[in-house]
Amino acid sequence: METLKSAFDFSDFPRLDISIAGIIAIFLLVFPLFSHSAFAMATMIQFLMFSVYGMGWNTIGGYGGQVDLGKAQYVGIGAYTTAVLLIRWNIPFWFSMPLGVCLAMAWSFIIGYPLFRLKGHYFAIATIATSLVLMDLFSVWEFVGAARGLEISPIKYHYPDFWRLIFKKDIYYYYVILGFFFVGILYVNGFRRSRLGFQLRSIRDNEEMASSLGINVHWAKIKTYAIATAFVSVVGSFHACYIKNIEPQDTMGLDLSILIALMAMLGGAGSLWGPIIGAAVLIPLKSYLKAWLGGAAGLAGIDLVIYAVIIMLISALEPRGIWGIVEKVRRRRWQ
Amino acid sequence: MKVYTRKIMTVMCLFAVVGILVPSGAWAVKEVKIGVIYPLTGGAAAAGRELRAGAELAAEIANNVMPDLPMAMAKNAGIKSLGGAKIKLIFKDHEGNPTLGADLAKKLILDDKVDGILGCYHSSVTKTVSAVCEQYGVPMINGSSTSPGLTQRGFKWFWRTTPHDKWFTKDLFELLKGLMEGKVRGVAKVPEKDLMNLASACENTEWGSHVSELIKDLAIVNYKEYGFKMKKSLLYAANSADLSSEVRSLKAARPDVMLFASYTSDAILLVKTLKAQRAQPKIIWGQDAGFEKPEFRETLGDSIQGILTRTVFLPKVVEIKKVAGQVNALYKAKTGNDLGGASARAFTGLQTWVYILEKAGSTKPAAIQAAANSIHISGKELVVPWAGIKFSTSGDELGQNVLGSGLIGQYQKEKDGSIGLEIVYPFDVASANMIYPFPKW
Amino acid sequence: MDILIGSLVAGVLIGMILALVALGLTIIFGVMDIVNFAHGEFLMIGMYTGLLTAQATGIDPLLTLPVAAMVGFLLGVICYYGFIKYLVRGPMVAQLLGTFGLMLFLRNLALLIFGSEDQALHRGILIGKSFDLGMGVIVPATKLAAALLSVIAFLAIWLLMNRTKTGKALTATALNARGARYMGIPTDRMNALAWGIGGASVTMAGALLVNFWSVNPFVGILFTMIAFAIVALGGFGSVPGAFFAGLVVGMIMEIPGIWDFLTYALNWDWMANVPMTSLKYTFVYLAYFIIMVLRPRGLFGWKR
Repeated sequence: METLKSAFDFSDFPRLDISIAGIIAIFLLVFPLFSHSAFAMATMIQFLMFSVYGMGWNTIGGYGGQVDLGKAQYVGIGAYTTAVLLIRWNIPFWFSMPLGVCLAMAWSFIIGYPLFRLKGHYFAIATIATSLVLMDLFSVWEFVGAARGLEISPIKYHYPDFWRLIFKKDIYYYYVILGFFFVGILYVNGFRRSRLGFQLRSIRDNEEMASSLGINVHWAKIKTYAIATAFVSVVGSFHACYIKNIEPQDTMGLDLSILIALMAMLGGAGSLWGPIIGAAVLIPLKSYLKAWLGGAAGLAGIDLVIYAVIIMLISALEPRGIWGIVEKVRRRRWQ
Repeated sequence: MKVYTRKIMTVMCLFAVVGILVPSGAWAVKEVKIGVIYPLTGGAAAAGRELRAGAELAAEIANNVMPDLPMAMAKNAGIKSLGGAKIKLIFKDHEGNPTLGADLAKKLILDDKVDGILGCYHSSVTKTVSAVCEQYGVPMINGSSTSPGLTQRGFKWFWRTTPHDKWFTKDLFELLKGLMEGKVRGVAKVPEKDLMNLASACENTEWGSHVSELIKDLAIVNYKEYGFKMKKSLLYAANSADLSSEVRSLKAARPDVMLFASYTSDAILLVKTLKAQRAQPKIIWGQDAGFEKPEFRETLGDSIQGILTRTVFLPKVVEIKKVAGQVNALYKAKTGNDLGGASARAFTGLQTWVYILEKAGSTKPAAIQAAANSIHISGKELVVPWAGIKFSTSGDELGQNVLGSGLIGQYQKEKDGSIGLEIVYPFDVASANMIYPFPKW
Repeated sequence: MDILIGSLVAGVLIGMILALVALGLTIIFGVMDIVNFAHGEFLMIGMYTGLLTAQATGIDPLLTLPVAAMVGFLLGVICYYGFIKYLVRGPMVAQLLGTFGLMLFLRNLALLIFGSEDQALHRGILIGKSFDLGMGVIVPATKLAAALLSVIAFLAIWLLMNRTKTGKALTATALNARGARYMGIPTDRMNALAWGIGGASVTMAGALLVNFWSVNPFVGILFTMIAFAIVALGGFGSVPGAFFAGLVVGMIMEIPGIWDFLTYALNWDWMANVPMTSLKYTFVYLAYFIIMVLRPRGLFGWKR
């Protein structure tokens, strides 16, 4: 009960933040009711998916300061669990998703235990390595379709099928992922003021000191890593039902890992709103720039060049991301 | 406060951009919109250009009157049964990415309101795009993806004009059989033990891994009595920078016949590495794709003499088929290149769309579906050397053209010193003596 | 037997070449303690430099090495003064983010300029030639030359680091930047120099690689990962370590060949069906992970 209360407790934010967040939340709720293009809808779903990925990443990467560049492996575990169970045994999403989370967390414990002996860059690169190893293994594993991947056939199910999460219209998917999005915000809000949350921030700021205060540093990191994993795995399961086709390269490639981390870091690692801001800036930028400049004008790559310049500027000028700029401006105003 | 206002404005603007309504545009009355999804950028961009040019040429012919072209669609401007409606192609670029392909399909169907889809070259992308089309009940014609699985999914809105890999791979084994029985033009009967040992290297994708399975299946099951042995069948990561360990592994198996399924860059790299490693099989056979692209011939030059590739179209077809020659001339005037397997099939894909629309006399999906399921296009109309186009409507392959057929070509030196493809299979249309065994590098 | 020898020889050659790729990364890391995720993109730029220079001027691709080295040096120095210098003031998260941004920037700029198609060199003194060493071992001339140049480059860098004043200043900066500054060493310039040398060595490796590998804007990341593996195995910052680790990684990449040898030697059918070739890079990543966890300093590490 106490934890639930703390999840809904946003009182330490300025009132303005809360009102903006409220407006945005209402906008997100009613957005599908306005007339919109399928493209805008797809972009919004992408934005929500990456926000949740980012929130997951933010627990370990932002509050914990452990830069994880291998999140895609858990997207893969979630997506594959859901797809395999649905295709082979017709097990609905709402059962396979928690199972996927369990599997992903189990895997995160297995590799997390040795991984967290490493620090800084070493940890970051090692997470890439584990993610790539898992991807390579999936692409030769016949049971999960190897490189061909798995397809959730659109003709086998009657839609809308809420249990299996098979819909024709994107609007249903939108509300499902929006639900996860709100739950995610509430969870992270509770998490940041939980015991583990405070432990983690002290680890980030000074590991030796945290350890001397009696915090089990290694265990705190592993636990948080598993929490981050759960977030990512849920969206992975959703991804399987939404895209209906998963392949190792597409679902758990390095690009996805990087994108997840970049968005969270760009928005502002270690703040509640950071990953959401990051996704809100980068996802529309990416899709619309691509649509306007990429395919049509034949300027393949220009979208990502602009994207990269933004990332470089932010990282050199304001390491705490966009949220860092917001806070800086705010502090200056108060002085 | 100013700062906050600005912040609110920024955030609001952002969402305004996201939620912006894309108007579907004024409805042109006499227009049939076909969404075309091809890899216009990305690793297969060269193929994408060919595909696009092929489809565009077919649309030009359909939209204009070209009386001296013996094709029904050249006789009138636009679709006659739709009151002369013109074909309008909306191109989208999938970059070889299946997820992006599915997104684009949704966009075409919902935002651009296309009447049908054509595409997508990569079998993996065709898979996701056809799934979206199936869901929305929008007809899709596929002209160039050859993974057999695509038409075995029971889809009702998906038709494929090209024959698939099972037929092509069978052709290969027919050729090997022909060599053993002395049926091949210019080659004396070859003892069975000289062609027994096979090895294959296919890219590890939807398409390549299917081909690999097929080769194994056919060698061991269907053509068992010829004693084929699958010495090695390996899958390699597509777009590899280096394939030397793969080639060494193939070579170590000492095969008589090497079989490949690769896109352009890998195909070039493979042949270069085979040459550097002095691999000396008796037959090298490529499963179309990279092995029949102009780049393959241009970059490797003389060293590809003797390499076999399956295809559905090669310039020699022009000598047998008059209509192919005429279309080829138009295509050459447009692009500077001869028609190839990719462009000819894209052309045929769009041509099939035109005939189906003509027959349907409506752009209602149900009418198009009925027309597609009952259409029969004569082989005389086509540039490709097929008996015609007629889709299967029952059995385990829905929507597969049953009248298609493949060719096997061999790179040989022409009289003018350039390298060109000669037909070696089917035996009755062979255009030259086959070079056997594969010459020393 | 010839399969085994063939694989081992190929492993050694490729190992030396990969070591050269990793050399730049280890120098930069050693001096500055920053991980450059754009390393593979530097290599890609080197490959394009070699390719385009050879195509434009018609000179042999081997002669493009100095051009590539110059481009690399400039690129490294510009990156340092224009970007990295500001980046290192921030926390590690920002450094990672920044070099990632650099990676994306260079990769997509290349995509914009050169297009996504693979390009390769087809003419040159060494291209297409190979030596038959007997026993079925065939060595492509290009790879042999690249391996030799790699050894020379390593010797040169090693001499620079250990026998010259500049090298000593670099080492001092690496060991203790603040101390070095107090001693009057211009650490800023030393850092720039490290980036220059690192850039030059990797673009040179690229110009060599393009003799036998094709280039597209996306080749970078594979090499970044392999270079990371080598640098980690060799110990971050260790020059000789990088060389030996390169050889180790070369051998690991030949595991499929060794597996083939065992398959034929033992004549076990099931072994032939294991998709080893698809996993050749997997072994590299796995080795990296295992070594990092068991021995975070790497096999030959010297720095803390």
